[in-house]
Amino acid sequence: MRRLLSLLAFSLVLLAAGRADTAGRSACVMRWNLDWQVAGGLPEKVLLLSLQGLANRAAPQLYVVHPPEFQWEITAPLFSFYERKHGVKFTELTTADEALTKFAGAAKGYVVWDPAIPATMNVALTLAGLEDALVVTPALIPLAEKHSLKPIDDLRGRYTGQSDAQIYGDAVTRYWSRCSRDAIMLMGGHAGAVRQPAVADWGIRQKMFFHDLSANPKHPEELALAQHLLGELHPGATVFGWHSYAKDTEEQWTTLLSGYGLKMEGLHNLPNLSFNCQFTFTPGFKFTNTPHVARDAKLTADKKVYLSFVQSDSIGIGVWTKPGRGKLPFAWQVTMNWTKFSPAALEYFHESATPNDYFIGGLSGPGYMYPNHIPADRFPGLMKEARELMAVLDEHILEIMDNSAADGNVGNADLTKETVDAYYKAFPDVIGFINGYGPARTRDLRDTRPMISYDYYIDPRRPRAEVAADLNELIALNGKRPYFLLVHVRESNDVNSLIEVVKQLDGPVEVVPLDVFLKLAASNQTYTTRHQDPADPKHFHGYK
Amino acid sequence: MTRIRRLLLPLLLLLPLAACAATSPFEGRWRLDKARSTALDGWHEWDLVIAVTGSRVSLRHDMKWIRTNFSATNTVDTAAPVEIPAFFRVEQRHMALYPAKGGLTTARASWLDAGRTLRVEADTPIEISQGQANMRLYYEYRLVEGDQALVLLELHSTRPQPLVYRFTRVL
Repeated sequence: MRRLLSLLAFSLVLLAAGRADTAGRSACVMRWNLDWQVAGGLPEKVLLLSLQGLANRAAPQLYVVHPPEFQWEITAPLFSFYERKHGVKFTELTTADEALTKFAGAAKGYVVWDPAIPATMNVALTLAGLEDALVVTPALIPLAEKHSLKPIDDLRGRYTGQSDAQIYGDAVTRYWSRCSRDAIMLMGGHAGAVRQPAVADWGIRQKMFFHDLSANPKHPEELALAQHLLGELHPGATVFGWHSYAKDTEEQWTTLLSGYGLKMEGLHNLPNLSFNCQFTFTPGFKFTNTPHVARDAKLTADKKVYLSFVQSDSIGIGVWTKPGRGKLPFAWQVTMNWTKFSPAALEYFHESATPNDYFIGGLSGPGYMYPNHIPADRFPGLMKEARELMAVLDEHILEIMDNSAADGNVGNADLTKETVDAYYKAFPDVIGFINGYGPARTRDLRDTRPMISYDYYIDPRRPRAEVAADLNELIALNGKRPYFLLVHVRESNDVNSLIEVVKQLDGPVEVVPLDVFLKLAASNQTYTTRHQDPADPKHFHGYK
Repeated sequence: MTRIRRLLLPLLLLLPLAACAATSPFEGRWRLDKARSTALDGWHEWDLVIAVTGSRVSLRHDMKWIRTNFSATNTVDTAAPVEIPAFFRVEQRHMALYPAKGGLTTARASWLDAGRTLRVEADTPIEISQGQANMRLYYEYRLVEGDQALVLLELHSTRPQPLVYRFTRVL
């Protein structure tokens, strides 16, 4: 009888647990269009982003699905994933008025920005996080007041005629002391008639300081202020967002923050982090990569061309959901930091992986950074964090990128010998390293761990016949066999077209998964050992 | 008679050169017609600026990539081969191919088709991931009828198909 009662009690516990698991939670969803015009859809989207950041402070309540053409194509598949795997019951909201009816209680008031002075949007977003305010343009004040919200601040007129350096300088004086020191929001990206601050909800939730200060030495006042802010962040802090397309370059900003040992997490339009961060992996889920060779295996390369494809740029903006994936072996660079603030997205990618999809760590460390510029005393701690993240994600290859001296995706993308030494010391157990974005010429082999740079970068706009001719020319010039041809596939290339390219390649060519590729490259070093040569041309020399 | 022939022969050979040196229709700035050319890779714009001085032909490449402007000149000589220390090749810049450090390129040039085609042949050392290799290059700069367009045919000893660039004169 006692045993029977125990069994009954156990069954009830299981039933209750099951109900709790499947009952899930409720949330709201909005479906947005692609209108981010300052003179069009932007003001309302900014209002809703501030509402999302506040509504999602305590619980995940508001999610946004973007059209498939939006740069982050995963919002719709991830929406389905939340429904399916987390049991979230979504209610659709179709207008800002509906959203405010539901969530205006999360705000204490509103702050007014002036679309004629772009920097005021960022000041208002900072204030939104600190004061629980909605961010509105003058035209949207009636809507906010309809929902009983009162003005907290009004930036109209305060910054008329001032430079961005002056505006942000004033914002630093007023607000910086109350903002997070673990993260800062570089709210740049699109500038001018179109802006896409879709990551603003996250910055508001986390009380970050918003700005789009320039890292361009041509703007010394803005650069000095940016350096001041970065210098006051905690060690290992993260710079979210992206550089302003109107002021400076990705290379300049990433070089700048790397010099402080900080991590970049792009982009300015990365959506829904305030929602995503509140979900963990589903019970029992564990990352297991799809290895194609045993970790301790020793392979021997034949006299042929070995080709391996890598897709970086974070898998979320890649071709993951497009047709053709799985037909060729592909390595996918995972933004490892997402284990912290977007675990469901990583689980979604993992769940939908084919046997040909292989995940690798990146980019350069626990976030996007340029290692040639990371202070030596910060490097070991950052790479320890990267090792831990790679262990969680069952990743055994690290992708490195340093475009600090490059010109966009061409030019000098090489690692100094000191940097290479530091990686070999920090990652004793990896299968190997890959380097570059565009082509690069850093190569090494120590014990069983090769470091191979991209020999080719496929521009998505390049005609496929020319891609095949380029690859055939590399094969012709690199006449020793085996030849290890590592190819970077830029985000929007489609896999089906690459299958046709491979058919046009000359000689015995085998497309292999990246782990196999590196194991083979360890067996026969037909490539030179090379590091950045101080005499190599540099497009940008950094800040020191 | 033999003496006259001896005098005339060099003159006849030099006639096309003289014609070019006077007012060569090649001279001037030519802009790439991207719609009618092989796709560039790693460059957005290309102006070719040609100057002819005696037997020397200066081929200046004004290149643009995003916000970067770059200019490089190869000067060839139709009278004799030349060695060029920093030979500029319009690379497909997403390939890991680089001019070999300290490498010298041997270039030979000649006028063909009564001075309406400039042929340039070059052997250039290239840094590759396996070390160094030699690329043999063959260029023909051909004037199109009317002299307002120029076609450049480029062959690599290592590439299975030609690169064809069409330029229009910038007035």
